[in-house]
Amino acid sequence: MSNKELYSPEGLRLDGRRWNELKSFTCKVNTHQTSSDGSSYVQQGNTKVMCKVNGPLEPKSKANSNNNNASITVNLNIASFSPVERRKRPKSDRRIKEMMTILEKTFSETVITKLYPRTQIIVDCYVLSQDGGILSAVANSVTLALIDAGIAMYDFVSSINVGLYNNSIPILDLNHLEEGDMSFLTLGIVGKSEKLAMMLLEEKIPFDKLETLLGIGISGAQRIKDLMDEELRKHGKLLISTAAS
Amino acid sequence: MEIITISKFNNNKGLNDEDEEMEDVSNNDQIVTPGELITEDTVWMRGHGTFALGNKTYSSVAGTILKVNKLLSVKPLKGRYTPETGDHIIGRVIEVGNRRWKVDIGARSDAVLLLGSVNLPGGILRRKSDTDELTMRNMLKEGDLLNCEVQSLFQDGSASLHTRSLKYGKLKNGIFLSVPRSLIIRSKNHSFVLQGNVSIILGVNGYIWIYKTPTVDNRLKTDSTASTASKLQSGVMGRQSGYQVGSGSVSLTRLEEESSWEIYSDKNDENISDAIRSNIIRYRNAIQALAHSQIGINESRINMAYEASMAYGSLGSLTEPEVMENISNDVLNGEKMRGS
Repeated sequence: MSNKELYSPEGLRLDGRRWNELKSFTCKVNTHQTSSDGSSYVQQGNTKVMCKVNGPLEPKSKANSNNNNASITVNLNIASFSPVERRKRPKSDRRIKEMMTILEKTFSETVITKLYPRTQIIVDCYVLSQDGGILSAVANSVTLALIDAGIAMYDFVSSINVGLYNNSIPILDLNHLEEGDMSFLTLGIVGKSEKLAMMLLEEKIPFDKLETLLGIGISGAQRIKDLMDEELRKHGKLLISTAAS
Repeated sequence: MEIITISKFNNNKGLNDEDEEMEDVSNNDQIVTPGELITEDTVWMRGHGTFALGNKTYSSVAGTILKVNKLLSVKPLKGRYTPETGDHIIGRVIEVGNRRWKVDIGARSDAVLLLGSVNLPGGILRRKSDTDELTMRNMLKEGDLLNCEVQSLFQDGSASLHTRSLKYGKLKNGIFLSVPRSLIIRSKNHSFVLQGNVSIILGVNGYIWIYKTPTVDNRLKTDSTASTASKLQSGVMGRQSGYQVGSGSVSLTRLEEESSWEIYSDKNDENISDAIRSNIIRYRNAIQALAHSQIGINESRINMAYEASMAYGSLGSLTEPEVMENISNDVLNGEKMRGS
């Protein structure tokens, strides 16, 4: 795939989106009500992610027990059938470990952990299909599952990735072909603010372009926050109506 | 749709306006999500589910606003069980420890059941001795289910339980079922005798026990002789680990009668008929159907769901999603017809 085709002169990308358009975003909460305290399913384009939260509960081992805070453990499972070409990734894969650490750190800051001393919150994420933006899809689904579990949080964490094409054109919400061909950063913001809760940049990006990319990413993530919020309210209304009946 | 979104927008805007804000806060069905500004007014005290930045109060969970006098809190839509004194709950022993059992009650932290808070076999009331401590595992061991009440809460919110009543204690002759705890509403009574020789305990923590109704005359007729025999036997066994006061004698009071070693027995009754067994399963699946559709569970709904399930002969078919939805629709329609 040559670099040229990723972004046509008419301003269209491979999948027909403009530079600032998001992949179609759908989400559901409370998908696994019997096997978890909170659960969610997020679909961003062809990236499909599922998340289950259990907790706060008694820590499985003393090592996970903190006298002042809840400890958050994130497990990330990337199914071997999820990429375009079947590939088995061991759980010890460095990149997977890195993502788990990022998620743990991000959500330890966002969850009000001091309310749940000596407990553990276990977050299990499953990537079922990947088409770019795994980390952001996972972060979004963790947010939804934590809220569904009724765990107190300061705000949403909504996440998106944004790339730089030809060192000049910023492109929002990359798919896997675009991810392979340009440098990109993944960011997560706190609620509707412009505060960053998470940021991952694995390649080089010219410093003077960084601010533009962040600005575009932030507005994209704020849109995602709105969509998640909408779904949560819809689900909440439904719950209240059945409980009242 | 357009109108709805506009009015919602106005609601959010109105939060800055003091008059409208009071109205907003009192609206119980309004859903808030984490990070949402609830009020800028400082007259409110901040309760659970909220946090403050400066003068502003924000929600920290997704739920509905609840205000009691000047206390403002957000009631989460869902969440783990938080024990309260007096709750009738079901728990599972996970550890036998130093003069206490650790019990899983589906809460944030495990509850403790102190050796001093259980009825001794034989029903004698006295201080628990070292011998009792050594026989703790004979009473309750890991994996046992028990029916108990929250006696008190510790500083960190974990619970201390007790089983000091004849209605509490070890569970047998039945099946365990766990449902989302939000579906069970705290009420005066949590144990019911249902039709079909089946009884049920709806633990406030979402744990449910469905079991064969204990037969009183059975206990009087056959049990008195059997329990005397077993008591003599347990007296013999007891002597191996130490002398058990009252365990060898024939009981005089009802407390003593009913709290012999029988109450800690691991053996189910021998006379549980197939009919009772299938009734228990039918109730279990009927309750599962209610839980599947997120309908609150109470005695009358269980009965209605049970009756609705009678339309399906096979017990196995009750676990199919369509059937579960049909049953819960029948229950809701039935309630509408009766006007309740």
